[in-house]
Amino acid sequence: MQDSEVFLQQLITGLSNGMIIALIALGYTMVYGIIELINFAHGDVFMLGAFLALTLLGMFGMEAWPQHWQLAGVVLMLVSCAAFCGTLNWSLDRLAYRPLRRASKLSLLVSAIGCSFICTNLGLFWGGMPMDVFAGGVAAAAPKDFPQLVPQYNLLGESAVRVVPADIAVLVVTIPLMIALVYLVKRTRLGRAMRAVAQDSTAAALMGIPVDRVIGVTFFIGGALGGFASVVYALYNNTIGFQMGYRAGMDAFTAAVLGGIGSLPGAVLGGLTIGCVRAMSDQYVETRWTNTIVFGILVLILIFRPSGLLGSTRREKV
Amino acid sequence: MSRWRPGPISIIVFVAALLPMCELMLPQSAHITEAVRGVFLYAILALGLNVVTGYAGLLNLGIAAFMAIGAYAFAILTCEIYPFQFGFWPGLLLTLPIGALFGFLLGAPTLRLRGDYLAIVTLGFGEIVQDVLKNLDTITKGTQGINPVPAPSFGGSMWTADDEYKWYYLLLALMVVVILGVRNLERSRLGRAWFSIREDELASRSMGIRVERIKMLAFSAAAAIAAFAGGISASMLSSTGEPSNYDFQVSVLALCIVIVGGIGSIAGVLVGALVMIGLNSIVLVKATAALDALGIGAQGNVLLSPNNWKYLIFGLALVLAVRLKPHGLVPPRIERRAS
Amino acid sequence: MTHHALCVLSLALTSSLGCTAWAQSTESKGTLTILSSLPRTGSANAQTTTIVNGIKLAIAEAGGQVDGWTIAYQDLDDASPQRGNWDPAVEAQNANAATKDATCIAYIGTFNSGAAKVAMPILNRAGIVMVSPANTYPGLTKPGKGEPNEPMVYRPTGTVSYFRIVPTDDLQGVQAADWAKQLGAKKVFVLHDRELYGKGIADVFCDHAKTIGVEIIGFDGTDSKAANYRSLVTKIKAVSPDLVYFGGTTQTNAGQIAKDLRAGGYEGMYMVPDGCFEQAFIEAAGDSNLNGNTYITFGGLPADQLTGRGAAFRDAYHAKYGSDPEAYAAYGYEAARVVLQAIAEAKTRDRAGVLAAVAATKNFDGVLGRWSFDANGDTSSRVLSGQTVKDGKFVFVKVLGG
Repeated sequence: MQDSEVFLQQLITGLSNGMIIALIALGYTMVYGIIELINFAHGDVFMLGAFLALTLLGMFGMEAWPQHWQLAGVVLMLVSCAAFCGTLNWSLDRLAYRPLRRASKLSLLVSAIGCSFICTNLGLFWGGMPMDVFAGGVAAAAPKDFPQLVPQYNLLGESAVRVVPADIAVLVVTIPLMIALVYLVKRTRLGRAMRAVAQDSTAAALMGIPVDRVIGVTFFIGGALGGFASVVYALYNNTIGFQMGYRAGMDAFTAAVLGGIGSLPGAVLGGLTIGCVRAMSDQYVETRWTNTIVFGILVLILIFRPSGLLGSTRREKV
Repeated sequence: MSRWRPGPISIIVFVAALLPMCELMLPQSAHITEAVRGVFLYAILALGLNVVTGYAGLLNLGIAAFMAIGAYAFAILTCEIYPFQFGFWPGLLLTLPIGALFGFLLGAPTLRLRGDYLAIVTLGFGEIVQDVLKNLDTITKGTQGINPVPAPSFGGSMWTADDEYKWYYLLLALMVVVILGVRNLERSRLGRAWFSIREDELASRSMGIRVERIKMLAFSAAAAIAAFAGGISASMLSSTGEPSNYDFQVSVLALCIVIVGGIGSIAGVLVGALVMIGLNSIVLVKATAALDALGIGAQGNVLLSPNNWKYLIFGLALVLAVRLKPHGLVPPRIERRAS
Repeated sequence: MTHHALCVLSLALTSSLGCTAWAQSTESKGTLTILSSLPRTGSANAQTTTIVNGIKLAIAEAGGQVDGWTIAYQDLDDASPQRGNWDPAVEAQNANAATKDATCIAYIGTFNSGAAKVAMPILNRAGIVMVSPANTYPGLTKPGKGEPNEPMVYRPTGTVSYFRIVPTDDLQGVQAADWAKQLGAKKVFVLHDRELYGKGIADVFCDHAKTIGVEIIGFDGTDSKAANYRSLVTKIKAVSPDLVYFGGTTQTNAGQIAKDLRAGGYEGMYMVPDGCFEQAFIEAAGDSNLNGNTYITFGGLPADQLTGRGAAFRDAYHAKYGSDPEAYAAYGYEAARVVLQAIAEAKTRDRAGVLAAVAATKNFDGVLGRWSFDANGDTSSRVLSGQTVKDGKFVFVKVLGG
């Protein structure tokens, strides 16, 4: 492999990983934008989505389906996981966050941390399910193999640079979702309501916007994006585990802040930046320093742009 | 000042001081002083976090990093495999300025950041510290941890883990010292400045408070106390453990202690530490042991092993605690502005 | 406050009542307690569950008693939920609980060598024998292999009270490097998970590989929480090694690395140590990614290669738990049997007697072979085995060393 090919390959890897991070980051940034909560449980909701995907795959024996049916299977997983994670996220808001609307932001944060622990534990239980796809559930805590529904051959034929169908699958799922999301937020009535609540929830309520319902819907959409992300993640990485929400969540949260928390394009840009920085650091520095470099760059960017890459620089309300 | 009435803090300290004597009357399986030492340790750490997050209102998600810095600094200054070989007390006292220095280094460039941007930087700092400790293994011994870290010795032989009540009272005493320290800070001019920037930064600035300097002092004080806790912890375990013993989860636990207890309140932090660490190290441990003795658990089914429920119980406790007591179990006496 | 204390008290009472009832129902000379201290919460739960299964099987086979003495067993967790991994404070707490429990005569643990460093001096002072089913860091027992002050810092009383039934990293790493050379590897890329075990074994592998003329073309520590290792694989592929060695375990993502190596088009060999010798590794990696070119070293013989003792163990384990025993199950079983045999042979049924009997273990007929403890507390067994993976099963290849 030539140096330029190595670079190109790392760029592809970085973008694919970054897209997945971005999709999770959107869920963080939407929730943060509207109630200023770092939803710690988001990564774990995402993790449970991946467990649902594997369960569906096992229940219907999708591994044995013919190729084009498997495509339908993936669509089924995407829809079910999005619905599941959206509902789960909505329920968390309803049960654990809404009662704390008037309490301090930090109590809300602790509630989210608690939800994250609960979801992690549910993932552990889920891994013990006696199904073949969970290896009989004998080792509940062990990582689970997610069968390869998207083949791994090189689309560029004999070229040294590899682009596998999974890379394409990531793009095919994430880009339309991002476009749809931007359309929803910028162009629809619901989106306007969401932006209004984010700006000033009291004023929005006075204008007749059902604030709690709008917040609930935001949680649903954020969770649903996490659900889509979980399927894409599982198809791309082929492994899921009950503790995967932690790192995925931390990367995504970092991405959301890097891009400017509350900003949708910012979350995407942040995700892609982190994905690429990780890949380049693995290649040109050393893997063991990658986390240090990612967070080092984060600190540097925030020193020069205190509201993130695309964050608004509006003064805090007094 | 004329008549001293016992507040919650003095009651807690008093009960804690009597605990070992009561315990000796109970059967072995009911002994808890050792776990209570963990409560003291986390209380010290959380008192540090309370300075920056509770008093100054700056969310810090990387307090464990300063604990790690304290533990490693203490070990390097005192351990026999390094050239310095300070004793226990000089080493422990030095963790304070070292922690403050690192707090300053992190704080200086980042205090311009607001709210959660600052939080993510502290979180990142926590990850960086762990990575550096792991990767610079020629100095820090990497994941091996540094040991043996010396214990205090009062006139003669060095303490060992067997001297459990000596350790117990030492930790209690150090906790009381830290309590007195932060209480003096709280009531000082500096403490009032912290409350002021927490409530309204802009107004404080216009009143002539030098906000950056005040924030920096909060950061450094918190870091110093956390580093102090790290030093004590390393000495008590006679090892620094591995760098990942000071990861994000520890920071999160400290934060939960502060908030569940009552943010900004010293008594709250003590109660929070008692409830959170007590739940983890006493109630869950004893309950698991009891269920295990009754033959429940480890039948192969994941649901039947009591250990597998710990995350769930811990998480539920957090959710319920803030739900039922949104201002903490023991809210501070100074009424906060509703936010 | 009061409510809290009451809770603890009532729990303690229930547990002690439970114990009394048990002791009365079997007319025994008394109770001897074996404690194990392993990380039961979090990611190591899968491995430690098989260790506990092994221990319980050994005790059940002995009928729960030795020579009229009731054997009680308690499974302590040295992890805490907030850590999700071993916690030094909890480990110290467990060790101190053992010293205070007058019936406790043996301590099986730890899983992590770092935890052993905390527990060893505490137990040594109390004279309780400690048998580890999993620690491989050489410095715990071998002078000159770790820090200058090791292992004496772990033996404040001067006597050896810590024993382990697993071969240390300095043996396994050497054997692995020799085997890699025999397999034809000339250029090797070495990875480790930056944990005590993985880094230790990878360091030994590197050092030995260099002395036998195998070129190390890369050495890096991975992030065990990463989602994938595709960019690392690109870096590896660009220098085209014959073999990738990963010092790490299933829980530090050995499976994902295998997967990404194949997905990234790497076609060379992949070798891992005994931390991956469990079915969960194959499940995590997906067997198609391991077939034919994955090599696993293990400190003993796999169950299906054993005759007599080992075969009986395999059948009994299968009958009780419905699956074949794995590396860690065998280690746990062996550790418990060493202790049980020592209790049987001890002159006095107390800590000192059992400690002396464990130290005197000679020609033990176990599932890992026939072996003795040496003066440092290490197993004399030098038999390691090499495995590969075929069709989702480990297949024994050869005995390494001798």
